[in-house]
Amino acid sequence: MSEPENLLFTVDHEWVRVEGGTVIIGITDYAQEALGDIVFVQLPTPNDVVSANSTLSEVESTKSVSDIYAPVSGRVIKVNETLSTSPELMNSSPYGDGWIAVLEMSDEHELENLLTLEEYQKLIDN
Amino acid sequence: MPLSYPSGTISEHLATRNAATMFDVSHLGTVRVEGPSAFDLLQKTLTNDLDKIAPGRAQYTHLLDDRTGSVTDDIIVWWIDREVFDIMPNASNTSSVLASIPGQDITRERAIIAVQGPKARSLAALLLPEVNQLSHFGVVRSRWNRQPITIAGTGYTGEDGIEVFVPNQFAPSLWNELANVGVMPAGLGARDTLRLEAGLPLHGHELGEGITPLQVGLEWVVAFSKPDFLGRKALLAEKNRGITRKLVGLRGFSRQPLRRDQEIVKDGRPIGFTTSGNFSPVYGVGIAMGFIEPDCDIGQEVVLESKGKSIPAEIVKLPFVKKAYAKQR
Repeated sequence: MSEPENLLFTVDHEWVRVEGGTVIIGITDYAQEALGDIVFVQLPTPNDVVSANSTLSEVESTKSVSDIYAPVSGRVIKVNETLSTSPELMNSSPYGDGWIAVLEMSDEHELENLLTLEEYQKLIDN
Repeated sequence: MPLSYPSGTISEHLATRNAATMFDVSHLGTVRVEGPSAFDLLQKTLTNDLDKIAPGRAQYTHLLDDRTGSVTDDIIVWWIDREVFDIMPNASNTSSVLASIPGQDITRERAIIAVQGPKARSLAALLLPEVNQLSHFGVVRSRWNRQPITIAGTGYTGEDGIEVFVPNQFAPSLWNELANVGVMPAGLGARDTLRLEAGLPLHGHELGEGITPLQVGLEWVVAFSKPDFLGRKALLAEKNRGITRKLVGLRGFSRQPLRRDQEIVKDGRPIGFTTSGNFSPVYGVGIAMGFIEPDCDIGQEVVLESKGKSIPAEIVKLPFVKKAYAKQR
């Protein structure tokens, strides 16, 4: 699987899909591959207000624990509850059923700090 | 050995519990001790009693620090022939084992493939028919494709299985033929979650400096009936004094993996720490092993704390998954 177009990325290997004033976020295929089998996700709390780069959730695989950071500032309006019983969806479908949460952005200008597909591709190729 | 093959740690783990997998464990050390004095040397050095077995059998045993009784290494001895022993230390401990047991380091001459799981024997026997007659912890010398091999009914997963000692250059073809009969390759990640579920200690975690066999419930490995072995005096003193901590299992209530170095807290008071932890693929919850005060009972609820996290868990008996070894043949 390659990293799809029409998404923005972070240096922490997360993806962002912009839909109006909200963003859907998840981890990239590269990230799930590096983490190995994901067995537990500490989901964000709905309605929590987070600032960009603060810890949003935590993902645990059989080999490690990784923080998930908020790519932009905003309020958590939806979380993917399915991940609490089926965290392996983050491995099998990182850009689809493995999404983590939806944030309502408080400052859309922050999107300018994110990477394009081309920039992200360069990051992981190095 | 890679951390995992493309199938991933969880599938490799479950395939070991339900069918058969193979691990490239060539990284383990092998020290050959032979000659008329070999038996006596091992008998006065290692904790277990070789008089309990005979040539053609393997034995789990410990090498202790003579002064403290700490476990320098845990070892499987393959008693191959009357005066020939292959002893298998942990990779990183081979040199400290050689210091106490002068033998020949033959690690680089051979590969070892471990085939493990309820179907391990029946599948391996398609290539190595003598596996059908091999008992749990039996050892047999044989040939495969005209090459000398040694097979033992041993492993580190809690499942039945074998380990095959094969000259390096023939290991890839044996590996491929095992794959062709349906044995799935598995990596270090699964090896670790499997041994954790089976309650098997790992040196550097549940064994090592400051840790004696008595503290981890392995007194059966120690033959106090022998007049001498390294660490006997220190261990006997600890036995008379009573241990100050014991190894137990910890079982969480959610999928969240338990991890090593978490503090074990009961009623607000620290009573120990974890030594290994992960997610149990069989039970679908976090599990760990850890040391606690010896008077603390099984069944009590505790909290595991680290880095601001508190995870509730229950103290349980080891192992988590009952061992499924073949009956004595």
